[in-house]
Amino acid sequence: MNSSAVSRELAFDQLDGDIELRDPAFGAGVRKEDFAVIALAFAGASVAAAIVATGGVTSDPTTVATVLVANIAALALGGLIWRRGRPASSFGNLLLAEGVLVFVSALSGSANSVVHLIGMLGGWAAGLGATWLLLSFPGSRVTGAAWIVMGLAVATFLVGELPLMLLSPKVVGVSGIANCAGACPANPALAVDAPGAAAAFRHVEGVLQLAWGLGLLFYLSTTFAWASHARRRLLLPVFATSAPFVAAFAINAAVFDLAGAPPNATARAIFAATRIIFPLGFIAGLLFARAYAGEALAFMARKLVGRPSVATVEQLVRRVLDDPQARLVFWLPRSEQFVDRHGTPVVLDPAYEGARWSAFGHGDVRVLAVVHDVVLGEDPELVTAVGAASLLALDNRRLEHDLLDSVDALRASQRRLVGAASAERRKIERDLHDGVQQQLVALRIRLELVRDLAGESGGLADRLAELAADFDDALDELRAAAHGIYPPLLADEGLEAALREVARRWHVPLNAELDDVGRLSEDRETAIYYCCLEALQNVAKHAGDDAVASLRLWRDPKAVRFSVSDNGVGFLSRPGAKGAGLTNMVDRMGAVGGTLAVRSAPGEGTTVLGRVTIEASDRVGDVVHA
Amino acid sequence: MSSTPELAERKGVYRLVVAEDAYLIREGIRSALEREVEEVEVLEYCPDLGSLLRAVEADPPDVVITDIRMPPTNSDEGIQAAATLRKEHPAIGVVVISHYVSPHYALKLFEDGSAGRAYLLKEHVGHRIQLMEAIREVAAGGSVVDPKVVDVLVEARMRAKNSLLSRLSAREREVLAGVATGASNAAIAESLFLTKRAVEKNINSLFAKLDLTDDKTTSRRVRAALLFLADSDLEAGPDL
Repeated sequence: MNSSAVSRELAFDQLDGDIELRDPAFGAGVRKEDFAVIALAFAGASVAAAIVATGGVTSDPTTVATVLVANIAALALGGLIWRRGRPASSFGNLLLAEGVLVFVSALSGSANSVVHLIGMLGGWAAGLGATWLLLSFPGSRVTGAAWIVMGLAVATFLVGELPLMLLSPKVVGVSGIANCAGACPANPALAVDAPGAAAAFRHVEGVLQLAWGLGLLFYLSTTFAWASHARRRLLLPVFATSAPFVAAFAINAAVFDLAGAPPNATARAIFAATRIIFPLGFIAGLLFARAYAGEALAFMARKLVGRPSVATVEQLVRRVLDDPQARLVFWLPRSEQFVDRHGTPVVLDPAYEGARWSAFGHGDVRVLAVVHDVVLGEDPELVTAVGAASLLALDNRRLEHDLLDSVDALRASQRRLVGAASAERRKIERDLHDGVQQQLVALRIRLELVRDLAGESGGLADRLAELAADFDDALDELRAAAHGIYPPLLADEGLEAALREVARRWHVPLNAELDDVGRLSEDRETAIYYCCLEALQNVAKHAGDDAVASLRLWRDPKAVRFSVSDNGVGFLSRPGAKGAGLTNMVDRMGAVGGTLAVRSAPGEGTTVLGRVTIEASDRVGDVVHA
Repeated sequence: MSSTPELAERKGVYRLVVAEDAYLIREGIRSALEREVEEVEVLEYCPDLGSLLRAVEADPPDVVITDIRMPPTNSDEGIQAAATLRKEHPAIGVVVISHYVSPHYALKLFEDGSAGRAYLLKEHVGHRIQLMEAIREVAAGGSVVDPKVVDVLVEARMRAKNSLLSRLSAREREVLAGVATGASNAAIAESLFLTKRAVEKNINSLFAKLDLTDDKTTSRRVRAALLFLADSDLEAGPDL
């Protein structure tokens, strides 16, 4: 085995150790802080419902309490799900914060004037928070044109509501559901009771609120319209649940603040319903994204069965990400750079990791990265699924490739060894033949000349005759030894002649059907020759006294084949018979890329079948008969 | 060399070319042939196939004695030389001397006809009678196979069960071995202390038992007998 095969084998072991089974992203139980959040949400929702129910301020306490409990529960749950599903994103924390603000807004149900005012401010903060959530979703920051809408929201509070709070004896609020009708406590923040100015500011507030609501609706619809398919999956549930709420909010502003009509029960019910539904979209969005990522993973896994090329994997990645520009790039640890599948180096800005590209590997070892559109940075579940599936597919390819490589290397080295051994045997045979055998033969000739001089009778003649006979025995021994080391016929004439010679000299009956199979490389001829010899010896040893052996050698267009069969007791039925002999044969054939099969049944004899593929360099000629 | 074929005929001298690459063997052959100056004249000693064929072209001898394995390829140059001479100089007899007991080489030598061909083991080159008989035989168009090659075959055949040889009597087997070596009926009779008539009877009987056609030409008879001995496919089945 050569060193590269060894190092590959070690690499397999290391790969086993690389798999981190306790990945925190999977299968973790409920954490302590999750319990705390749930407990707080439960307590907050209960307190909020109690305040609203007992405060005697709210005109419709049942509806308001229901909305508050539902919102607090949904935001707490959504916050937990987001924190867990996307630990890298702070959107989960935003949802939790919004839940706190909604709780604070419940204080407006208190009859205490200060607490009521704090609740009213909390309600405004919750409104601004909801706007922030919608404008930043699925990130956590408001950027670009969204600031216009955010600005309108803040302006509504600063320019409309805040002066109104200083000028009105009672703070009614904008929410439309928590309004206190006639039971509002006195406004502790009242600076000047100026009903005319208050009406004007109410009008300003109404206009701004309408603009805020409409701006938000416009922003949501255009964002959705321009979004990619991947992003729409995430946006759809959020926008579908928030648009009615925002619309109701805008209509509320128009009807209350501008037209001055008091909100009726139907309007309040509709507004309550939209408020309950609104935060559920954030939960649904994330679940949709995860479900799609799971589907994508399953889809890719199905498509990646077998041995897809790198190009195929990349095509799949593009299709699943719905990003025709997406690319797979591969990390070269030695040169410490990424290259694409054509080997061209690709420079990836570390500042955009996670946004424009995501790396995948084993533990800390990078293997590849998916380079994707920036919007996919908001869909990390999908990118992770796609990256993991690609990694798996390419790992499989690499493992298989490495395995085949090491098997090839092993076979090649075995073949070199066997080839070297047979070349060495042949050289020894030649050396014997050209050296000591030559000298013995020359001596034998001279001995004969001496015998000739010594005459035909007498003591000397007898001694010389004995010496000649001993000489002949020595020559026979040497000849047999040289032949055993390497049969010269095999090298000179090939398999057919060498095996025919074996058949001629075999000590038990032997049916030989030997075709001219041409010449193969020396190592393969040697392997076949010794396999046949070994199999014949097995017949002699194991098949029984009456067994007749058959030796066949033939070829088809693709391979040279041989068989050694007997009609004996069955080779494999004898315990221990499947020993070194068979292993030797299998090794010999394996070393030259050949195969060996043994068929045997008790009483039905044994057949050993061997096959060696014909190679382009073999001088085998054409097959005469098909 | 100045001697002409007519002169050789008149003198009864065999004109030889010897090809052998190994020095020790070549010197052995030289010593063996120097004993036979009255009957043998060596025109040239050659170390390889090329020089052998050139020497033959320059002055065709009566008999060529050639090593089987020589440069350039060290495989079967002696047999190649015999095949070439069969075409170019059919009258020249060839004695191939070999280390190999395997009948494969002898049969290969006889492939394009056994007339004027002998296969002799090298260690028997010193044997005066064997060597001279081979030279005389091939010069006259006959065939000779070293008895040892035949012995090995007969021995192997006798070991095999159901051998057709087991149908022969011991005497017939001896006669068959004699036939396979190329010995004449008279020579067989002499070596086995039989009458020539008895040898003929044995030959007729054994050829009939082996389903072989008795060919009166000795060289063809040698080949047939040798082929029979060498062909392991001709074992008799149990029903015979």
